[in-house]
Amino acid sequence: MRKEDTVKLISAEGFEFVISKEAAMVSQTIRNMLTSPGSFAEAQHGEVTFPEISTTILEKICQYFHWSLQYASGKETEFPIEPELTLELMMAANYLHT
Amino acid sequence: MEIELEQGWEIVLRGFNKLKNIVEGLPEPQFTSEDYMKLYTTVYTMCTQKPPHDYSQQLYDRYRESIEDYITSTVLPSLREKHDEFMLRELVKRWTNHKVMVRWLSRFFHYLDRYFIARRSLSPLNEVGLTCFRNLVYLELNGKVRDAVISLIDQEREGEQIDRALLKNILDIFVEIGMGQMDYYENDFEDAMLKDTAAYYSRKASNWIQEDSCPDYMLKAEECLKREKERVSHYLHSSSEPKLLEKVQNELLSVYGNQLLEKEHSGCHALLRDDKVNDLSRMFRLFSKIPRGLEPVSSIFKQHVTGEGTALVKQAEDAASNKKSVGLQVFVRKVIELHDKYLAYVSDCFQNHTLFHKALKEAFEIFCNKGVSGSSSAELLATFCDNILKKGGSEKLSDEAIEETLEKVVKLLAYISDKDLFAEFYRKKLARRLLFDKSANDDHVTDLTLARENQTSFEEYLGNNANANPGIDLTVTVLTTGFWPSYKSFDLNLPVEMVKCVEVFREFYQTKTKHRKITWIYSLGTCNLIGKFEPKTMELIVTTYQASALLLFNTADRLSYSEIMAQLNLTDDDVVRLLHSLSCAKYKILIKDPNTKTISPTDSFEFNTKFTDKMRRIKIPLPPVDEKKKVIEDVDKDRRYAIDASIVRIMKSRKTLCHQPLVMECVAQLGRMFKPDIKAIKKRIEDLISRDYLERDKDNPNLFRYLA
Repeated sequence: MRKEDTVKLISAEGFEFVISKEAAMVSQTIRNMLTSPGSFAEAQHGEVTFPEISTTILEKICQYFHWSLQYASGKETEFPIEPELTLELMMAANYLHT
Repeated sequence: MEIELEQGWEIVLRGFNKLKNIVEGLPEPQFTSEDYMKLYTTVYTMCTQKPPHDYSQQLYDRYRESIEDYITSTVLPSLREKHDEFMLRELVKRWTNHKVMVRWLSRFFHYLDRYFIARRSLSPLNEVGLTCFRNLVYLELNGKVRDAVISLIDQEREGEQIDRALLKNILDIFVEIGMGQMDYYENDFEDAMLKDTAAYYSRKASNWIQEDSCPDYMLKAEECLKREKERVSHYLHSSSEPKLLEKVQNELLSVYGNQLLEKEHSGCHALLRDDKVNDLSRMFRLFSKIPRGLEPVSSIFKQHVTGEGTALVKQAEDAASNKKSVGLQVFVRKVIELHDKYLAYVSDCFQNHTLFHKALKEAFEIFCNKGVSGSSSAELLATFCDNILKKGGSEKLSDEAIEETLEKVVKLLAYISDKDLFAEFYRKKLARRLLFDKSANDDHVTDLTLARENQTSFEEYLGNNANANPGIDLTVTVLTTGFWPSYKSFDLNLPVEMVKCVEVFREFYQTKTKHRKITWIYSLGTCNLIGKFEPKTMELIVTTYQASALLLFNTADRLSYSEIMAQLNLTDDDVVRLLHSLSCAKYKILIKDPNTKTISPTDSFEFNTKFTDKMRRIKIPLPPVDEKKKVIEDVDKDRRYAIDASIVRIMKSRKTLCHQPLVMECVAQLGRMFKPDIKAIKKRIEDLISRDYLERDKDNPNLFRYLA
């Protein structure tokens, strides 16, 4: 994938997740940011830090993005969520408007 | 981690200021994703904290307040100090900035939109932002803006170049500020613009109508409409188009319409007279746009065509009174040409509009029903057709040309009210053509075919019966009475030689059929006589009547009028006609004493032995009786029957009907063939009452009842 097609999501602990823009924009918040009028400075493009989101959650979220894209194309599968992650995941989802 | 209101707000405010700077064009680095997320997160946190630290309401309020502050402190002052076009440019700039700002801010405050606003059914952030601009900036300035715009429009109308893009941007504001509704555009701009437009064109029109000719005025009008339409496409909103054009049309055309059409030397009449098709087409295009605009035009058109037609009638009358018989033929031709010409006008200039078809029809109905010198138009048309179709007629046309011309005659026929009269005249002439025209297409007439077969078997019969031979070559055409117009038969005293012919044929016919009765129509017969004149022997082709008269001179040198009449047993009319043709016309076979131009009962006649002509064989025409009177009589009779039948038909289905409606229905039913005379209808009703078909109601003398 070309660099222009990806975004880097950075967790509170500093872990970097590089995913496709398409996947990232499943989050309305990220989508809004990426499509805002007046472009961002080139160097800054494609990197978002989430100081409030832990690595585990962020990882799960990235998985969700990809699962969501798959689901959108019609393949029905279940998205597995470990119960102990549920609350944090919900809050992150709310924050990210996903 | 909890955020206090003022703490959080400070962060937001920083972002807001950064935004302001960017928008104002000041040197300021762009937003990073970090900046963005910080602002978003701050808002998010402040909204998701547990009460009393849920600051949604405050954020919502401060959002609006901040925008309002910015507008009041920065935007308005900069606008107030500028005027006219500069003010307009500044406004466009500020509006664009504002939109950018609101978009960014809405993103930052987005969390509010998702829950707080939705839950309380408040106006979304976007709307709040735009409303601020509307309430503070737009409300104060729209009047000035409108006036500036209208002033620029008027300048452009006068030919100056203006910044169209600027106007488009300004007017877009009027539209966008409505946020889906066109109210602001319409009320704050369009109304005034339309009024101004009307005033502008009213002034122009009042000048032009005085100075310009009709065609020039129309050119200007068309140009103006074109420009205004372009104006819409350049910067006005498309919904203004119909309203704008309507105003212009009203001021230029509706108000001055009649004055324009009736301009003395260049108005509608003049254009028609001078065949200015382009101007007339323009006139149609323009006037078709205003309500009822075409009515006066079509009315003038009708007047004009009627005038032209009536002039032709007068021309023909004058020619006829100068004894030019060709005049009538020419008249019909000219009417056809007139029709072709104005039909072309209707289809080319007037785009086949029904109003104009109607005008043409009514005009033709007016003058086509005027007769010329005693002959009804029905008769004229029938004569015209006859001339075209018969061999030796005054026109020599190819088959194609004949068909074309006849098609046009049919079109004219539609305008004539006495169609049945035409039919009768036409039938009579057709019959004559079929009987006498050697070139006639008699294959189509079964009767004539039968007649020819008859003749062939007659000749066979003669061949087989030598003693039956009458000594003269005889050709007989037997017609079935019902198929042909009725011909009067007279008891002509045949010369001896011919009597034998008649008898021989009668005998022959008896062998063929015993159930038919033969009536001889001598008036239609022809004879070939050999005249032994002193200079040379000649062959004369004459009618049977003429032959009978001439043969009398075989046994007498000189005969008086009365003697001839007694011998022949014909009426005065016939005798005068036939003697005239033999003694006063081109070929003088008989010498008349006294040598005057007309026949009188005291004349006497002598065989002209010295007669000669350079040809060996001549035809001596006998002009036919004027059947006109008979035709009219026959048609009148038929009409009486038709009226009777129509009345009975109507009453039978209605059972009862009042006088007026009965008459009206009768006229409508019969209209296809002729225009019935109201008095005639009344008479027929009375007649039918006396014959017990109808009765008058006892209480209401106006009501009739059908008697079964």
